[in-house]
Amino acid sequence: MTIEQRVDAANARVLEIMTKSRPVWVDVRPAIDVIPGMTKTTILTPGPGIDPDRVTPPQRTSICGAVLHEGLANSMEEAWSMVERGEIQLVSSQTMNVGNAACMVTSASMPVIVVEDKIFGGRGFAPLHPGGNPKCLRWGLYDEEVEHDLRWFRDVYGPALGQAVRAAGGMDVITILSKTAGMGDENHNRQPAASMCLALQLIPFLLDMECAEKNAVIKHFSANDRFFLHVMMAGVESITASCKGIALSTVMVGMGGNGVEFGIQLAGTGNRWYTTAAPKIKGTFLKPTYKEEDLIGYLGDSCVTEVWGLGGMSAIAGPAYMRLTGSNYAEARNRTEKARAVSLGEHTFAPVPWEDMAGFPVGVDARKVVGYNILPISHGGSALRCGGQGGAGAAELPLGCFKESLRGIYAQAKEIMAREETE
Amino acid sequence: MDCEKILNLFRSELITVNVGPKLLATSLEMQGYKAYQVEWKPMAGGDKEMQEILDLLGGVD
Repeated sequence: MTIEQRVDAANARVLEIMTKSRPVWVDVRPAIDVIPGMTKTTILTPGPGIDPDRVTPPQRTSICGAVLHEGLANSMEEAWSMVERGEIQLVSSQTMNVGNAACMVTSASMPVIVVEDKIFGGRGFAPLHPGGNPKCLRWGLYDEEVEHDLRWFRDVYGPALGQAVRAAGGMDVITILSKTAGMGDENHNRQPAASMCLALQLIPFLLDMECAEKNAVIKHFSANDRFFLHVMMAGVESITASCKGIALSTVMVGMGGNGVEFGIQLAGTGNRWYTTAAPKIKGTFLKPTYKEEDLIGYLGDSCVTEVWGLGGMSAIAGPAYMRLTGSNYAEARNRTEKARAVSLGEHTFAPVPWEDMAGFPVGVDARKVVGYNILPISHGGSALRCGGQGGAGAAELPLGCFKESLRGIYAQAKEIMAREETE
Repeated sequence: MDCEKILNLFRSELITVNVGPKLLATSLEMQGYKAYQVEWKPMAGGDKEMQEILDLLGGVD
């Protein structure tokens, strides 16, 4: 077989996993109990791994807040000193099959959504979505109120959701996406239909559970129309877990930002990040007084949903979100067509009725991105330099990291060729 | 030699197929001629290193 044939075969295998996997939300457990390699002093951070001296201000707040939450330090200053001394280890979430949206981090005791892919066996994780309160660790904010919420999540909300989802025998992500096809979710920045469908299925089990704060749990869960995003992120992580390490594959299996750099991962080289300067997510500011210079660069792992064909890749499925990105219906179609031009396949479980029942594209091939010079567009939220959400919008994926990723696969191919010559 | 076919071509309506910068096609259209623009770009935007890599890895039609 030629190298091209081998790359095509590897990509076909990755595409098979991406299109035939069956992610099911099975549990909520403390991170340290379920994430392989997690330790009491590990803090999982979004996007490519980052040295402490480059961490952005809101991310630093989240990291220090998590260290305090774990009881490892008594002040933010002490917490940061521990990070700088290496007593706290910052690890890139997606290298552990975890997705941390925006400025969120995961520490040992935090409850995480556990999703299992029932076909290929991968497991993915994500912290619970915090809900409607904009003051949260997820947006780089930490104080006594945030700490109070984190404790309630750890001690009440997480265990209650875990109990309910176990009693339900799991929540099938594909079923939810299928039932809500044509309801206007693009499932990165807009998922009210999927969240409501999930609530419809889970609330009966929440009503039956043993929990002193049952009403508070149900109120918090059912009032959150973005809850499904984090289930979906854990779901995609469960899928990409089985794709990473399929040698020579040029299919994108990870993407995210740390506020300074934006990166992608290819299946062929697994958890290796290919990075470039982080673009800013542009669209609509949440307050008219905000300016572009108030925003930091692309930050968060929520865009891992895009890796599986959601968000900007399936913009046409959720055209209402386009208003928030400062755009229109025609551009929604354009975004999906761009993604289709560089993708290897199409999902069949959630056809878009107003697109002649076309599915959304999946399996972005870095060869096509670079070769055709077509850059897919991701949706996303943007963080303020001082913490908090600044806006929502979209960003073109930078060409530089795709070129770098092809250099990585090219080197892998050359190594294989050299090895086979000597054998 | 039968030149009639060629002569017929010149007597018929001129339709230009333009490959490359769209400026030429636009200019012809402004002068009342029909022009079809072929959407073509050099592979990898002309990046020689990437073209070499893609020669090995393939995937671009």
